[in-house]
Amino acid sequence: MTDGEATGDSEHVPSATSRGRGRLRLDDLLPAVALGDERAYEAVYDQASGWVLGAVRKVLRDPAQAEEVMQEVLLEVWRTASRFDPRQGSGVSWVMTMAHRRAVDRVRSERSHASREARAASAVIDYDDVIEAVEASLDRERVQRCLSSLTRLQRECVALAYYNGYTYREVAELLGVPSGTVKTRMRDGLIRLRDCLGVS
Amino acid sequence: MTGDHELHTLAGPYVVDAVTPEERSSFAGHLADCAQCRDDVREMREATARLGMAAVVKPRPELKEQTIRAAMRTSQLAPVIDDSPPDGGSLLSPDARVVRRRWPTGRDRSIRLSVKLALAGAALVAAASTGIGLAADNMVEQLRHTQRQDHMIATVLNASDAVMLTARTTTGGTATVVMSHHEHRLVFTTHGLRPLPSGRAYELWLMGPAGDRPVGMLRLQADGMTAPTVVSGLRQGDAIGVTVEPASGSALPSSTVVVMIRQRA
Repeated sequence: MTDGEATGDSEHVPSATSRGRGRLRLDDLLPAVALGDERAYEAVYDQASGWVLGAVRKVLRDPAQAEEVMQEVLLEVWRTASRFDPRQGSGVSWVMTMAHRRAVDRVRSERSHASREARAASAVIDYDDVIEAVEASLDRERVQRCLSSLTRLQRECVALAYYNGYTYREVAELLGVPSGTVKTRMRDGLIRLRDCLGVS
Repeated sequence: MTGDHELHTLAGPYVVDAVTPEERSSFAGHLADCAQCRDDVREMREATARLGMAAVVKPRPELKEQTIRAAMRTSQLAPVIDDSPPDGGSLLSPDARVVRRRWPTGRDRSIRLSVKLALAGAALVAAASTGIGLAADNMVEQLRHTQRQDHMIATVLNASDAVMLTARTTTGGTATVVMSHHEHRLVFTTHGLRPLPSGRAYELWLMGPAGDRPVGMLRLQADGMTAPTVVSGLRQGDAIGVTVEPASGSALPSSTVVVMIRQRA
């Protein structure tokens, strides 16, 4: 598809006022949002809020906080839509990167109040719980399958970082492996995940 | 350098936010010099996004209206980053693609650009990088040449408050504007815009509190540049924007802007 070209040609541009917005992809909607198009923004909300809330809640656990962060993220999408650049990745990836970063920042600032012991204790959640807890979605099964195609260490490294918001050093400590190993396993795991999911 | 190698290994942790804020910004800086890393990060991010999307949780319905209402009260960032510190910081993409330079003022008006890439942290300098710089330098050459011939352009270029802003367009290439609110004018030029099918053309707009005003069509020259265009009637809060329109022009923009540049107040 011609993602990178869509905005340059009005035939492909989301005229957010006249087309079936529900079917437009984030990549097509975001340029309209950047122009302050309220209806395009509504369509973005409809598509992305469930993904964002789901991801944020995995990290934060607390439903009320997760809602708050979800709203912050969606506001950030509105505010910074002009910075979305399709050449740097898909709209989905842009939004989810924002969501995850914000959730992690929040969970870390909370943890900085907690003691190191308490931190270690709360880390006993393993990725199986996380995956088990997710609600139905088309991607779920595939993600689960792909996660289980990773080596155990790769999977633990990726899941502890992504779902629990730990730094690679914290992951290393939790797993009792050198931090250099954790760094490379995260990378290898993500690459394998990428190949398995067929996204690039 | 071992430092670089160290940074290199942060790609995975960076993508899943398993880094400290300091590591995050040094890696973002490293991305500027490492095309392979940028590709890796982009691809790993696509996969990582799916990890989050597997867990859809529908928000309570009332949150939707709340959020949209809040958004409508929130001003949006123009696609230009200036050299003041970013508000909120971390959310600006390390891949930001807009460079701002200040037009030199004071005694040295000899259009020798003291390039100021001091953006909001190393992160922003990242992918903005050299491509834009070179294109802008070419445009400066072009502007300098024209300056001798065109008094109006010269007036803008030499205005004490003149500011030069450069941005990439969504159709490839770059747009550069030198604007002076004191003179109520700006000079606009582009480089490397993609040619459009016949019947379509790039149209230039002033967009601001006073509404969207068409200020002319851009004519691509054979060398892929547009000759510097002087636009008068610039008001506070105006952005300069370009859209794709029928060749005869439109009264109001009918498509998404391919670039919009605004000087931050």
